[in-house]
Formats: sequence, structure tokens, C-alpha cells
Amino acid sequence: MNLGQGTCPRVPRVLAMKRVVGHESWDKGPVPVSQVSKDERKVIMKYEVVIGLEVHVELLTKCKLFCSCPNRFVSEPNLNTCPVCLGFPGTMPQLSREALNQALKASLALNCEVALYSYFDRKNYFYPDMPKGYQISQYYIPLGSRGHLEIDDDQGKLKKIGVGRVHMEEDAGKLIHETTGGIAIDSSMVDYNRAGVPLIEIVSEPDLRSSGEAKRYLEKLKSMMQYAGVSDCKMEEGSLRCDANVSLRMPEDEAYGVKTELKNMNSFRAVERSLDHEIKRQAELLDQGEKVITQTLRWDEDKQQTIVMRSKLEADDYRCFADPELVPIELTAQEVENARQNLPEMADERARRFVKDYGLPGYDAGVLTSSRCLADYFESCLQLFNKPKEVSNWVMGEFSARLNNAGLEADQASFTPEDMAELLKMIDKQEISGKIAKEVLEKAFQSGKKPRRVVEEEGLLQISDQSELEAIVDRVISENPDTVENYRGGKSKALGHLVGQVMKETRGKANPQLVNELLVKKIDG
Amino acid sequence: MELRKTSIHQAVEAVQQGEITAFELIEKTLKNCSVLDEGLNIFNSIAGIDALEQAKAIDQKNEKGGNLPLAGIPVAVKDDLCYGVLPTSLGSAAFNEFMSPVTAAAVERLMDAGAVVIGKTNLDDMGQGSTTLSSPGGPTVNPWQAERTAGSAGAAAVATGICMFALESDSGGAQRQGASHCGVVGLRPTTGRVSRYGLNTHCSSFARVGITAFSCENIAGVLDILSGFDERDAATAVCREGITEISKIPNSDKLTIGYPVNAFDFLEPELREVFEKARDEFAERGYKIAEIDLGLLREGLQAYYVIALIEASSNHARFDGIRFGKTGESEILEEMYQHSRAEILGKEARRRSIFGTYLLSKGNYDQYYRQALKVWKMVRQEFKKAFDQCDLLMLPAAKKLPRLLNEEYSFLDEYFEDLFCAPVSLSGMPALTVPAGQVNQLPVGMQLVGPPFSEKTLLALGSWDTGTGPLSQE
Repeated sequence: MNLGQGTCPRVPRVLAMKRVVGHESWDKGPVPVSQVSKDERKVIMKYEVVIGLEVHVELLTKCKLFCSCPNRFVSEPNLNTCPVCLGFPGTMPQLSREALNQALKASLALNCEVALYSYFDRKNYFYPDMPKGYQISQYYIPLGSRGHLEIDDDQGKLKKIGVGRVHMEEDAGKLIHETTGGIAIDSSMVDYNRAGVPLIEIVSEPDLRSSGEAKRYLEKLKSMMQYAGVSDCKMEEGSLRCDANVSLRMPEDEAYGVKTELKNMNSFRAVERSLDHEIKRQAELLDQGEKVITQTLRWDEDKQQTIVMRSKLEADDYRCFADPELVPIELTAQEVENARQNLPEMADERARRFVKDYGLPGYDAGVLTSSRCLADYFESCLQLFNKPKEVSNWVMGEFSARLNNAGLEADQASFTPEDMAELLKMIDKQEISGKIAKEVLEKAFQSGKKPRRVVEEEGLLQISDQSELEAIVDRVISENPDTVENYRGGKSKALGHLVGQVMKETRGKANPQLVNELLVKKIDG
Repeated sequence: MELRKTSIHQAVEAVQQGEITAFELIEKTLKNCSVLDEGLNIFNSIAGIDALEQAKAIDQKNEKGGNLPLAGIPVAVKDDLCYGVLPTSLGSAAFNEFMSPVTAAAVERLMDAGAVVIGKTNLDDMGQGSTTLSSPGGPTVNPWQAERTAGSAGAAAVATGICMFALESDSGGAQRQGASHCGVVGLRPTTGRVSRYGLNTHCSSFARVGITAFSCENIAGVLDILSGFDERDAATAVCREGITEISKIPNSDKLTIGYPVNAFDFLEPELREVFEKARDEFAERGYKIAEIDLGLLREGLQAYYVIALIEASSNHARFDGIRFGKTGESEILEEMYQHSRAEILGKEARRRSIFGTYLLSKGNYDQYYRQALKVWKMVRQEFKKAFDQCDLLMLPAAKKLPRLLNEEYSFLDEYFEDLFCAPVSLSGMPALTVPAGQVNQLPVGMQLVGPPFSEKTLLALGSWDTGTGPLSQE
């Protein structure tokens, strides 16, 4: 056996694109986007955009799809492997019931019809990351079909997007083209840790009419999969991957135009941008009387442009046929119904509950439930600090802003619900002001320190000591006689200026209410 | 103790009562083995010290009163069944030193029961064939006539008395024809009866793990141990429990034997005579004979090959040179594949991969694969219908006498020899090959085919005939 755990078999360098890309292009900050000029927009507007998305989602399960290897990420290569997922002679696949249940949940969440009888097929082709020389997938009969989900269209109206099929399949391994030090090597290495990880492929109907719709479809899909507990859908980690098919046609046309396929988009923003880029390219071609040709293009995140991978004249021949080593999947109507009844609460449902139980405005409920993590975070905070609207303001506002900047999900932030509750309690007890709290959140979020520690280390505790404040108030009054006169003359705004001076003197730490009281007392008194 | 004249039951009793130790039994077997293997080319590898160690361990268990049902019984295992202790060659020269990380479920069960694997038996190129003629190590010689092939090395191992039974695999008839050519008994069990985990097969739809032995009684005892559910082979879900001992010989007045008249038309007259005699013998003993129609043998054979070739092209795709076997030298991926596969797959395996790829390619699916699936279904129905008219069917096992080693033949000729076995594989039903007679001093076997899970009846009828009856004139 020339394969040991922790080591990689070597193969001749594979020049084709890495089919799945890891973290490398996650958000390198703002990149110049090719601006669409007014004239260009006019050209694009002449055509109707038709987009369909193929989304692969890694299922959350304990084990791989056909063996008992753990389904979790490890950095050491070929650690999560066994003779079955390495395709050793004589081994046979054994379907994980857990993965089937997850795929069933996904199908039901997406309003699909569930096939009571389906089976696995083999998709035959050679690639070094595929141990058996074929991928086990559902080709002829998908588990779920004819589903839909709802998004807002570009006019803000609710629109149904068809989900053509949801089917199960196994993931492939990964090819490594450089050593750990980042040095290029003249061969490729294969890491089979991911081989056999359960995936579902979700194929939309070509119902999407703009890059914005495509992005909202993905966001909705991600939220639904997270709510159903089917996947964590982290695009930057590859647990959600998206390919797009895009074509243009004249609005009056029935037939679709020639489509191209876009690959290698590693964020929702990349999906939107690559689609915009491709729509513009196709529109310009058509406008010059040229033809779009069937191509597979890959999105280059650094250069913000597409690169032709291959132009295919005809579709690949995967020679699909039913896998003779697996028995068909047979479900009863009762099993499907039970799964439907046991579906977890979905976003819309949860939003309604937030309005009803916590008295939140509809807007807040919508924002908080847009991601399951965020909604979970909100409710965890609420357990520790039961003032829904205040928690909502902070979670939706400051906290979400930090998350977006860092490109994190709520459950990845080191600023935990406990930290949030501690912060809010400090505001509530008037130990710090709201303004200082923002500063504390920022520092705690960055450093991972507890908010109270940040306050103590930075000396940010609010000054509520009357004698200490009186001295400052007296000084401000004596230094600003004009303003004091204005106030006495009836200009109530002048008081605000004086409060501001006191706050400035205390670097924002003074208790504003107390400062107000003291000023009024001293001047009027 | 002469193994050929002893039943497994008697041998186990002898070991358990201390008349002979497992160690002695295995030592003797191994000696026999090295002598006989010399001229016959039965084994790809022989266990030696490992087998003796195992035998010692069994003796120790025995002293502590462990009632192992196969204590110390030597078994030969076909080399497409993975076994972690000896190399698993799969019928490929590139795998001569391959140590599988897996041990086949059936081998595990036998070892747990106290059986000792004495060696891995020869097989065709990647297990594809019913003659051993395409084996990278050369064919196994028939113990009856040295200028002919044995058909199956496991059958030869049993026929020579080297071991008491052999673990075999059978897709299109290798095991059943081998048993026929060597004059022994071979059972291909019902689909789902015995776990196939650890069997490297070119054809998952039809490959079964079977047992070849000298008597039906021996087979029954082993089948009991092999039967049953194994979560690693989903098909075994239909067989939650094993079978118990074979019942008494079924009452002759209650059993109807089906005689498919048209099948025997494919045979040369001297072979045909053997089966007509057997039929008459059955009738004399009071069994009812029902003439039935099996009109789809030829179509069944064709469908079998379409499916088997297609599955081979896919099953053997894993032999890409990256993880096991030999890695071809090249800086270019496609060339590396080509070189690796040329080393791993022999001529016959390559031919089958290419045919299978072609048959499944775009435009051919409907014409070949879909049609083959239809025929598969029709054959199943035809057999099912046959069992409305009879309890068991008799069929030839092989179309001809075993091949001469130096005979010129085309691959299509060889495929055509599976005419009586491949359709039975399609039916999914159990089949037992028992000796039926002789032609030119060579044994000729008969297949007894029954409805699903009718192994008990098959073995009962088979044991009655092979033991004393005229069907086994040696």
C-alpha cells in the first residue's frame, strides 16, 4: 500500500483548475470593480438576463456518505480516510442514514416533491482526486424535485424561484499543488480527507433575471439550509459552492440564448460581480452582432475578471448508470410526512415569533432572522439580558457591522452573547455610556478580551462621582461665560454645548444625566 | 485422516476430541499443498507459518473448551477475496504483493469459526473468465487430465483433497463450471445470502461468494456460518438469519424437477446423454419430471455480458495507479493513467473495460444497456414462472468439456460457455453444481437451480445423488 495516513500520493502535476478553492481569495478588501457606464447599461437593458444556479452544499453529519470516517475538517492530509473512501478493491459503499435524513430535510425545506423511490448512479470519469474513478451521485432520479423558494425581485416584489432538483452525491478529494511552505512543486499531491463527504446539489430553474436576484436566491438558500440544520453553508470554507449558468435573450424571445457556465466564485459578492461581468460581456458581443459560444469560465477574484477554462462543443459523457453496489432508497409516505412535521423553525416563522413574543418591530425581526446564527446569537443574549429592543439594536447595529467587516458569522466571533450581555448590563447600570460602549465593543471584538476588562484597562468607567464632576462643571461654567449667558437668556440649546464641554474634559466618561443636572443646578441655582 | 473421505463434521469432532490437533491437520495440509501445487498451479500464495500459528491458537481455544464449528478446517480462498494476511492478487500481476487493508466478510466469518486459510487460489485476469486461461500466472491444470484446464482453482484444490472446502466467487459461472470440470460440488447462493464485502469483483450485480466442497453436507455446514446480514453489503438485508442443518431428503413424490428441453439442444450428443440419463434416474426414483421452456438462455447470456462489461469498465476505473497496484512512469497525467492501467489490467481485462466503456457511451445506452436491463427482468420472470411448474430445475453447468490448455479459441467462444450459468446469475436464484456423470473420463456437472433461499432443498437433493447414486460414478 503506497498510501499512509498523513501522507499524500503524488500524481503528475494537474494543470486544470483546482475544482474547489479554499480560503485564499476571501475578501482582500475593496477591489476596483469595472464600472458600468450609462451607455453600457443601455446595451445591457435591451436584453433579458437568464440565470440558473447549481449549488453544492456540504451536509452536516457525523460521518461521510458511504463510510464511517468523520465528516469534519482536519488539516493533516489523508487522516479522515479508510479503505472504503479510498476506493480499495473489495470495499463497498454503505449509505449513511443520517446523510439521507439531512438531504430529505433539505428537500422538504425547499418545498420539493420527495421521490419515495430513488437510487444512486455512478458518474464515470477519471480525476486523481476521485478514488473510485466514478462519483456516486443521483442522476436519473433525484431525491427532491419541483421545489421552490421565494425571494424579492429587483422591484421588491415577492417572486418564486423554481428548484428543479435536489440530489445527494459524494464529494471528491483535493489536489495540492504546492508544499506547506507555499513552494510550487513539479507534481500534484492528493488529499482524500474530503472524498466521500456528503453533498447535496441544488439546481435552480432558469428563473433568475439579474445578478441581484441570484445573490438574494443564494442568501435565501443559505438561510434555509442553516435553519433546517442541514449545512453551515460557509462559502469561504467550501461548504457552499456555486456555479452559475447565464445567457441573454431578447425580451420577446421564447428560446433561451447560448449560455456560459461560471465557476470558482468564493463569496456571494463574487457571484454577483462575476455575473455582472459576464452579462456585460455577452451583451456587448450580441450588440456587435457576434455570437456567444458555449464556454466554461472561471472567475478570477484578484483580477476581477473571467478566464476561459474550456470551450466545449458537446456535453461531457459521464456514462451514468445505477450503482450496482447500493440498494435503492425506498421511503414511505409516512416517513416523509414525519420528516416534514419535524422540520425546524424556518426564518419567516421565527421572525413572526420575534415580533409576537419580544415585541420587536417587523424590520428588526427580519434582519435578525436573516441568518440562523444571528438569530441564535440574539436569543442567547436575551437569555442573559432580557431587554429585547436594546439587544436587537446592538446585535443588528454595532455587532453586525463588526461581523461584516471581519467577514465572520455570528458564531465565529470571539465576542460571545455573554460578552454582549455584560456590555449591555454595564450600560444599563450607567457604568458606561452608550458611546463608550461602542468603543468597548470594538476593542473587545478585536482583542477577544472581556468587555469589563477592556473598561478597566482603559479606565473607561463612567464618572458618577458628584464631587469629581462638580469641579469640572464649575470650571466649564467659568470658562464659558457667554454660553452661560445665552442659556440664562432662554436658549436651551446652549446647555447642550456646556454638557459637551464637560464630556470632552472627561473623555466621554462623565455620566451625561448627572452632568445635566449639575449644570442646571449650578447655573439656575 | 484423509480429507477427501472425511466430512467437515467428522474432522471438527476429531479435533475437538483431541484425536488430531488443528496444528497437525494444517501441517499435513500444507505438505500436501506444496506437493500437489507443483504441477497444477492452484495457488497464488500459500500461508505457511501464518496458518500454523492460527492452528496453534485454535488448539489453545479448543483446550479451553471453545466449540468452534470449523475448528482447524483448512480452506482455500479465491484470490479476488481480500485477506489481510496473504497478498491479494485480484488476478493482476501488478498486485502480486498487494496486502489488502481489508479482509472479506466471508473470510472473517470462516476464521471466527476456526477455519484456517491455507492459500489463495488462482483466477482469470482480474477475475474475468471461467477457465483460468487468462490468469497472469498461467492456468490451473485439471487434476483429472493434465492437458486440460481446471476451470476454477478452488475446485481443483477440493478435488485433489488439499482442503475440505474452498471459498469461491461466481458471476457468470466460473465457480459452477469449475465444480463441473473437477467433479466436485459448488454452491452459488441466493442473492443477499452471503456478504460480498471484501470481494473485488468486475461485476457487482452478479458476483456472489460461493462454497465449493466435496459433499453437500460440507457445503451446508459452511453456508450456515456464512449466511446472514452484514451491514457492509446492503444486499444482505434480505437475509437476517442463517439456515440450520439440511433437512432430510425431500420425499420424491412431493418434488417436481423441471427439465428445460430446449437447453439441452445446445449440447454435443455425448454430453446430452449424461443429462438424459440423470433425468431418467430422477424419474425412476419417483420424482416428477416437468418439461418446461426456458427460451431466453441466449438472450440472457447476451444481457449478462452487456451488463458485466459495463460494470467492469466502471469497477476497474479505480485502478488508476495512484493508491495501489503499480504506478506508471510519466510526467503527464493521461499517460500515467495509460501506463498504470496497462500494467494492472491484462489483455482480457483491458478488452472488457474498452467494450464496457463503448457500450455505455452516449448513444449506446438505450440500444445496449437499457435493452439488457429489460432482458434481465424478463429472464427473472421466466425463471419465476418456471418455478410455478416445478420445484427445482436441472441444467448443464458447462457447455463443453474443460478446455485443452493449448487450444486456440476466441474470447467470444469463451463467453458463450457461460450459456447455462449466466442466465441463472441474472435470475438471482441459488444454483448447485453436482457431478452428473462422465464423458471421456472427465467429470460432467449438473446445475440444480431453485427459487430464492431454496438452498436446503438443493443441498438435500444433491447430497442424495452425489453420495451413492449413479450420478457420481467416479
